[in-house]
Amino acid sequence: MRAQPANRISPKGLKVWRLYGWIQTIILALVAIGVGVLVYIFEWPWWIYPLEAAALLLFAYFIIILFPKVRWMRWRYEVRESEIELQHGLFIVKRTLIPMVRVQHVDTSQGPILRKYGLAEISISTAATVHTIPALIMAEADELRGRISVLARVAEDDV
Amino acid sequence: MSEQRYKLHWITAVIETLKTLKEAILPLVVLIFANGFKGGGTGLWYVDYLSFIIFGVLIISLFVSGIIKWKRFEYWFEDDELRIESGLFVKKKRYIPFDRIQSLDYTEGIFHRPFGLVKVKVETAGSSNAKQAEGELTAITKEAAKRVETEMAEAKKRQREMPVADGEMVSPIEEMPMEEELNFRKMFTMTSKDLLVLATTSGGVGVILSGVAIFLSQFGELLPFEWMFEEISAFIKFGVLIVAVAVFLGLLGVWILSVGMTLLSHYNFTVEMDEEDIVITRGLLEKKKVTVPLKRIQSVVVVENPVRKLFGYATVSIHSAGGGIGQSSKINLFPIVKRDRVLTYLEDVFPDLYLEEPANRLTAKGRPFYYRIDFLWMLPIIGALTYFFFPYGLFSLAIIPVIIALGIWQHRSAAYDITGSQLTFRFRGISLQTAYMKKKRIQSMEMKQSYFHRRKGVATVIANIKSGMGVFHASVHHMDVEDAERIFNWYEKGCSTIDE
Repeated sequence: MRAQPANRISPKGLKVWRLYGWIQTIILALVAIGVGVLVYIFEWPWWIYPLEAAALLLFAYFIIILFPKVRWMRWRYEVRESEIELQHGLFIVKRTLIPMVRVQHVDTSQGPILRKYGLAEISISTAATVHTIPALIMAEADELRGRISVLARVAEDDV
Repeated sequence: MSEQRYKLHWITAVIETLKTLKEAILPLVVLIFANGFKGGGTGLWYVDYLSFIIFGVLIISLFVSGIIKWKRFEYWFEDDELRIESGLFVKKKRYIPFDRIQSLDYTEGIFHRPFGLVKVKVETAGSSNAKQAEGELTAITKEAAKRVETEMAEAKKRQREMPVADGEMVSPIEEMPMEEELNFRKMFTMTSKDLLVLATTSGGVGVILSGVAIFLSQFGELLPFEWMFEEISAFIKFGVLIVAVAVFLGLLGVWILSVGMTLLSHYNFTVEMDEEDIVITRGLLEKKKVTVPLKRIQSVVVVENPVRKLFGYATVSIHSAGGGIGQSSKINLFPIVKRDRVLTYLEDVFPDLYLEEPANRLTAKGRPFYYRIDFLWMLPIIGALTYFFFPYGLFSLAIIPVIIALGIWQHRSAAYDITGSQLTFRFRGISLQTAYMKKKRIQSMEMKQSYFHRRKGVATVIANIKSGMGVFHASVHHMDVEDAERIFNWYEKGCSTIDE
């Protein structure tokens, strides 16, 4: 078996994903409440209430607790001298190998939520594909961006 | 430095006008129909013919603007750049450095022919707009086109000399242009028989399908289950026949059209090459010439469509990087070629490609994955069909063996091979594809494993190849995880040391 990449993404990333999960759950809850009101007005069968509640709870459990956790556990990356290796995926585990020679440029970016947690995501572009590592601590992301661009510059470009 | 400014040929004005007219034709037609045929004159001629007047004025103004476009367009060579200036009110200047030019593509349309003109498209690597070439000279004489080429060659030569000029001898490079002229070798031409096979099989599947439909509708009369249909059967049969005939005629029409278009566009298909480029020429009414620099070719794919395979033919296409050709730039190098000649031709064009059949086939471990998913999501459909159309719905059960057979076929076709710095993938959707890829052309590599994959010890490997502005994914699905890791390790190892 191939060894897994060494580094994990920031534990704060888990918090951010859980926050996204909360936001989605709240939106869904609003929809559920709307349906509940309709049920009350039109006197649809009573069992729709518990069904809704169960579905909502299940969704919340998956999207807030389980999925972010599994995803976070799976997310690994490693930047070596001559290549970058990524591993991620919830149901399907995907491992990606990007040789330094192929790296065209590296970007970091952060939205409002990531900024609040002091995180940033980093995108590595080759001539054909873009690969993103989400939720790295700002300083780490900057350092990584610098390191990759130095390593990539050493390697000769040949598209 | 020559700074003489050149103009395009006056036919440019006509071509530009027609081009704009083509875009404006629909609103014009609507206008004419809305106004022109109202019937019953008002007595005032200019009201009756208003739409025609508008039409006429529009055409004249289009023509004038075409003339202006032609008049104001200038190009010249300066400082090793191709410089283009155009526009009446807004002056546009575009400077394209010669060393950025990837290729000059020539097209000869019906308007170009009688005057011996060509349209030249200047392709650079980093086209910001995928649809448009960096520079386009709508119509220039062939001598002028030649001048662009020589100017470019000279500029490139000068640049090559530059670093050397400091101390060392310069002489050997002088002979280069002469050699280039001689080195153009003809690699491949399509005979008229090849052309015919290409044209007739390009839409072949549809016709075969509708042929089958007709056959079945005829055959229905002979089958013993006729009595099941009772009185509705006559009606259904009649309906089916009509529908089948209509579909067949429709498809036949489309097919004849596509045959005609393929014949016209692929007439006299020729591949030539020199040290650096492959040049593809084709077309009867519109003659096209495309230059593909050898060093920009990312991968070579042999495609074997089952219908063409029946006749012993295959297709060879190449993926090339950059250029303004669009999202994915797949170029048919040999649109159709006898299967047994493919290797000889390919060896000729790409001598450093290892062309043996990929030797490593997949083990039985991954086989169920090829049909499992399709099988699972087909089940409810079959169930529903059976439920709603009870007796006939059962026919949908026939999908199951088809899916499984296709899956097994795909599994048996899949193979891979590693030879030195080259990776060969073979995979099948319906057509069998064999992709030959050099390690240094693979942009990144992925290995995917689902939960079930891990339990069985299989994985999917995807090699990402640059193709135009996009990606070509070459993938072998559900191979042994050890094999997948071997490919991964091969890719990882020695990536930093370029090739070999």
